[in-house]
Amino acid sequence: MEDIEQTEKTFETKELTISMGPQHPATHGVLRLLLTLAGENVVKCTPYVGYLHRGIEKLGENRTYLAALPLTDRLDYISSMNNNVGYVNAVEKLFGIEAPERAKFIRTIVAEMGRISSHIIWLGTHVLDIGATTPFLYAFREREVIMDLFEMLCGARLTVSYPRIGGVRNDISQEFLDELYDFVLDFPSKMDDYETLVTENRIWKDRTVGIGVISAEEAINWGLTGGTLRGSGVDYDVRKYAPYDAYDKVEFDVPVGTNGDCYDRYLVRMEEMRQANRIIRQCIEKLPAGPVMADAPKFTLPPKDMVLKDMEHLIHQFILITKGPTVPEGEVYMGTEVPKGELGFYFVSDGSGRPYRMRVRAPSYVHASVLPRLCEGGMIADVIANIGTIDIVLGECDR
Amino acid sequence: MRAGKFIQTIFFTEIIKGMALTLRTLFTPPVTRRYPKVKRPVKPGFRGLHALAKNEEGKMKCVGCGLCGAYCPSQCIYIYTSEGEDHKKIVDRYEIEVLRCVYCGFCVEACPFGAITLSEHYEYSDYSREPLYMTKDKLLANWDRYFAGEKGLRYFRDFWRPKAENFSAYEGQAMFDKVKARRKEQK
Repeated sequence: MEDIEQTEKTFETKELTISMGPQHPATHGVLRLLLTLAGENVVKCTPYVGYLHRGIEKLGENRTYLAALPLTDRLDYISSMNNNVGYVNAVEKLFGIEAPERAKFIRTIVAEMGRISSHIIWLGTHVLDIGATTPFLYAFREREVIMDLFEMLCGARLTVSYPRIGGVRNDISQEFLDELYDFVLDFPSKMDDYETLVTENRIWKDRTVGIGVISAEEAINWGLTGGTLRGSGVDYDVRKYAPYDAYDKVEFDVPVGTNGDCYDRYLVRMEEMRQANRIIRQCIEKLPAGPVMADAPKFTLPPKDMVLKDMEHLIHQFILITKGPTVPEGEVYMGTEVPKGELGFYFVSDGSGRPYRMRVRAPSYVHASVLPRLCEGGMIADVIANIGTIDIVLGECDR
Repeated sequence: MRAGKFIQTIFFTEIIKGMALTLRTLFTPPVTRRYPKVKRPVKPGFRGLHALAKNEEGKMKCVGCGLCGAYCPSQCIYIYTSEGEDHKKIVDRYEIEVLRCVYCGFCVEACPFGAITLSEHYEYSDYSREPLYMTKDKLLANWDRYFAGEKGLRYFRDFWRPKAENFSAYEGQAMFDKVKARRKEQK
């Protein structure tokens, strides 16, 4: 008894600094957080990035505009289709060419499929981090359908490299359209299943309501985009306010939250999946007939079966592949809405076939920077919820 | 509203709903596959291991122009050529580092002769680097193994585009009307 009294008198409470990650399973990749803890409360949180740096921006400067496309697959590797669409849109803006109508619709379809598959992974892993195992398994069941559709479309499941500058690689097949339509009709009921399991669950609500609150003004000042910004009640969506591809021809709503906490961001992303499904359905129904590659022989590869029949096409094939297209000088920025937020590509062209500078404005990088703001002052268990809710992928963050 | 919430809190209705869903799912057929025993069927046009195409006479189609190597984003194709009789180009070595390849399929798009292709074979892991450094002979053997007969002829025609029809509207394009027609047939 005396010992305990003695200990209580001399007991010092110290702040403890621990390193969370880069191998922590809940940090969604290789994010490392240096946490200073007072008991269970987070006093200071410092994110460290760069464990997955591959120099994609620099690699892009050493390849022609056409050949740099597969690099963008590796940015945000769970929604590579959206990155590809963003890249080709930016390059098309620089070249001054436009994809045909059918190609735009196909791109919209595949980009929204990519959004659904990315959000499904977000849902599964976020919920798994917080403690529910079942939605994770259900989510991956639906993702498999999308992956199979991608494989049918272009021969690869994850690193698709499907869109091309001036269109898409190949036209979609009738079987693809059939199976996609079946998926589209089926998907809302699966969404209901997820919501039954998670949305009203009291444990889930305890863990997310009022956690990681960020006001609208603050969210804008931090540079947040995408679902993370909309959860705070800011009605901003690149698809709506600077439409690219076929987004101005389809109807969809932009869901916004009110409180700006983890739960609202969760609701926003769930609704986004339903809206993505709605966009795909409209695009299938409105899909026009026509070519899927632009008629711009100076910028797009010629049709394969014409290369050996026609001299001009053969010359174009050789020039485009070895030297790259002749590009107007100038600078271009193009932002597109990927599942994580606004992905921007900024090109400085010096007139050669390779970009002088290729800059990627990655949403995950910006979102990782807001982590200290969300985590500091909270509990250590809420750090996991916050990492999950800002939806970062470190491949994009470190580039 | 308040009473509803009270009932929910007391009787765990949302938990029971979730449990009912998992119980229902228990009686649905499994979606998983016992992989090494049960192989996953790949879709036609899958981007797998490389092969060098042969023509009808059984000779290599490649002429050594080097476009695939120039276009390759990971720069993993090496081609060495020399001059033969009548100033003909001879492909001495054609090598692909499979471990560095990213399977984008750009080499297939670049090749004007349809001489290189990606097969549907994807299980080729190994313990050393040597078997995964593809030489010309290995790549030609891949063609015999994975594209024997009619399949090789059909492969480029069906799966490797862009083809001229992609540059213009054509009959048989995938449209929504046909989806609707199929659904009616099924009913």
